[in-house]
Amino acid sequence: MHPISTATLPGPARAARPHRGESAIRALWLACALVAVLAVAFILLFLVADSLPAFVEIGIAEFLLGETWSPTATPPAHGILSLVVGTLLVTIGAMAVAVPLSVATAIYLAELAPPRIRNAVRPVIELLAGIPSVVFGFFGLVVLVEWLRVSFAAPSGESVLAGSLLLGIMTLPTIISVSEDAIGSVPREFREGSLALGATRWQTIRRVVVPSALSGITAAIILGMGRAIGETMAVLMVTGNAAVIPSPITDVLSPVRTLTGTLGIEMGEVAIGSLHHHALFAVATVLLVITLAVNLGASAVLRRLNASATGRASPSRLAGVPGRAVAGAAVSVLAAVLAAAVAHSVGGMPAALAVLGGGLLLVVAVPRLSPRQAERAAFFLLYLAVAVVVAILAIILFDIASKGFPALSWEFLTGSPRDLGRAGGIFPAIVGTLYLVAGAIALALPLGVGAAIHLAEYQRENRLTRFIRSGVDLLNGTPSIVFGLFGFTFLVLYLEFGVSMLAGQVTLGLMVLPTIIRTTEEALRQVPQGLREGSLALGATQWQTIRRVVLPPAAPGILTGTILSIGRAAGETAPILFTAVVFSQRHLPSSLLDPVMALPYHLFVLATNVPGAQQNTYGTALVLILLVCVIYGVAIAVRARYQTTTRL
Amino acid sequence: MHSHRSTLILPGLVAVVIGALLVAGCTGTGGTATPTPTGTTTDNAGSFVPSGATGKISVTGSTTVLPIAQALAERYMDLNQGADIQVSGGGSSVGVTAIGEKTAEIGMASRELKDAETAKYPALEPIAVARDGIAVIVHPSNTVADLTLDQVREIYAGNVTNWKDVGGQDRQIVAIGRDSASGTREFFTEKVMGTTSTAATMLEKNSNGAIQSSVAPNPGAIGYVGLGYVDATVRAIPLSVDGTAVEPSIENVVNGRYPVARELYFVTSGEATGLARDFVAFALSDEGQQIVEKEGFIPIAA
Repeated sequence: MHPISTATLPGPARAARPHRGESAIRALWLACALVAVLAVAFILLFLVADSLPAFVEIGIAEFLLGETWSPTATPPAHGILSLVVGTLLVTIGAMAVAVPLSVATAIYLAELAPPRIRNAVRPVIELLAGIPSVVFGFFGLVVLVEWLRVSFAAPSGESVLAGSLLLGIMTLPTIISVSEDAIGSVPREFREGSLALGATRWQTIRRVVVPSALSGITAAIILGMGRAIGETMAVLMVTGNAAVIPSPITDVLSPVRTLTGTLGIEMGEVAIGSLHHHALFAVATVLLVITLAVNLGASAVLRRLNASATGRASPSRLAGVPGRAVAGAAVSVLAAVLAAAVAHSVGGMPAALAVLGGGLLLVVAVPRLSPRQAERAAFFLLYLAVAVVVAILAIILFDIASKGFPALSWEFLTGSPRDLGRAGGIFPAIVGTLYLVAGAIALALPLGVGAAIHLAEYQRENRLTRFIRSGVDLLNGTPSIVFGLFGFTFLVLYLEFGVSMLAGQVTLGLMVLPTIIRTTEEALRQVPQGLREGSLALGATQWQTIRRVVLPPAAPGILTGTILSIGRAAGETAPILFTAVVFSQRHLPSSLLDPVMALPYHLFVLATNVPGAQQNTYGTALVLILLVCVIYGVAIAVRARYQTTTRL
Repeated sequence: MHSHRSTLILPGLVAVVIGALLVAGCTGTGGTATPTPTGTTTDNAGSFVPSGATGKISVTGSTTVLPIAQALAERYMDLNQGADIQVSGGGSSVGVTAIGEKTAEIGMASRELKDAETAKYPALEPIAVARDGIAVIVHPSNTVADLTLDQVREIYAGNVTNWKDVGGQDRQIVAIGRDSASGTREFFTEKVMGTTSTAATMLEKNSNGAIQSSVAPNPGAIGYVGLGYVDATVRAIPLSVDGTAVEPSIENVVNGRYPVARELYFVTSGEATGLARDFVAFALSDEGQQIVEKEGFIPIAA
């Protein structure tokens, strides 16, 4: 919307004097944007080339619809239906957990929380995005799975439910941060107008604020979903990895196996060049196709929302559409029935009936509430959601802090590991993680900001931008384990980087690139168009306008994206598993082509491979979280200082 | 004034990031610029004497072999201060590929080389450095005295699903095994399952440690791990061979009575040279094999 007017403005500056630098700068940003597309093209090329033999030999129908995955049996079976179903179930479950909690928390933080609480809670939520998936996996395995097994008297707690809960919790910070940014940037006049018309605060939130921020919230949910679908380490530690389709399908206590989990546990051991190896690449291809479908669907939804809500709060949206209440009720009834089926698998018939009855009661009762009652009920639910989020996060942090604290010592922080990491320290891993993150951000930040500037400022929507945007979407949805496979085949083997810091930095940089592009673009779009027009009218060139007028107010948004990226890069295990890390190293790396130790990988090996190292495992987890805290703390402090000078 | 400050924020951030990178780079160089100087080794009699080869090698592959290689590397670097040995995991195939593509000097494998691998990299040479018995483990409270190989097979095939059917309490069995590409799984299939296929409902884990930590808290669970992973949190169940219960122990693997045992390998490309050759020699020396035993595996020469 905005760039159209920018590009078509009869810029007085351009008429007055030609700017040779302008077109060079423009080309530079286009090049940045194309890197994302190029990366996707390479990833696709390598995946498809390696999966073709599997599709040919197994047959596409047999591969996609076969229910049995047992590639090493005689005869081998390569059907991935159960894996696809497992992925979908866990992702849907995670969204069912995360979306209500995180959107409610975002609304609370942006609309209801006193400034003191908001300023305290927001950094905490962002910090949580930095808890690495392998820490969640470890926590899930030793605490959550046990709790589920005992509470529901199940044979094993490793299940759809465990995966959904853990993934849901993991995606909370992402969805909350980005949604809250979106809600916070809805102009204050909208709220004032609505309240002046006599609407309650809840009506204002529900009918004005949330619809206006819907594109941002949707972007947040897509980001979260991307993380859920692509998550490997935590999922493979808690879902049991049995390649079965739950029966009935709503049995959330059944174990399942996801596509990512299959790659995560089998890729390291499979013989390169075997049919099984090609079949795993085919699994990765299917995973990419699913992400592509999700992303295309989501962007279609976004486009429709943007089209129907141009002007950010069109009158039709405020007035409400006839028949919407009926449709809403139908959806609610369906949801209640589904919830009842899930409850049945967990708690038997009484639980199912209770859930069904409660759901139907709500459907009948809600429309009959007065605006005041509705507001009180809604706010109660919001507060409840926030309390649940805070409690969950407090439990996880307390568990890790209390068990990890005894491990901390000067030797632990400054020494090299001994006795397989049961003794000694983790200094090389701390340094290695810093190297990897710094390299990844140094690569991704300029590229990402450049690409976003190209998308948001220079181009009207056309085929090229849609192409680039699809590339970014696809890159965003690309699971971290796929980046790992790509890094291994392309960087390590094909370009002969070897297992090296450089290969890890590039892999991680590519992985966080879409996050930076998305958040930067969103931030740029929030800058009022009038500012650009004013600047151009004063005779500034477009680049001068972007640099002096557009980028400064967008900086907090860009910083948020960078913070999320740092957190993700620091905590990821899957992309560096085959590209950058060694389990142990006595000396620090001396060049970019040396491999490094990294905290998340060290933690993963300690947690899954070294019995009797629990104290150092928790210690490593705690150090990783503290390290992320320091990085975030600096960034958040910078942003807070900056925000007080610009925001009202 | 406000706007002036704000324009500095973004370049400032970039500068901080790049600065951090530079500082990190300097630290790295400093770290390796001052390694402990190569000195004469002053060891007790009977210790392995390194050849004096120096430099840096990478050892990568099977997670089962990793603890052995790591312990060996730590001791070897104490003996030979000029050596830098980096150990990493990833899996047997990662190890075989790495050595085949020459991105590492030594690969680790918990299985024999596949035909596809020897065809692609004909120069590869597996060197057995340790033996390993695979123990069947259950929750410490499990009352089953011992199991026959047939019973274990029926459990993993999904035909026996309750402990009471094999002499235990009335409790559902949760079978836990390794992922299908694992060398350990392959070996278990060969020795125990034969041609019977594994039930799809089996929970799959990607490492020995993960199986152990899943079995430890779950009263209904059964799993299988390398001997080095048996500790007090789980109970290794004796396997009944011809009516006699055989404990999974180092002695019983050595004397050949325990039925599920295998070899673990270092893989080199052709004859190893320099530091890699010396490290392999250390692994096979008396001192090296003592380390193998200390890590809970079985020496190769025994």
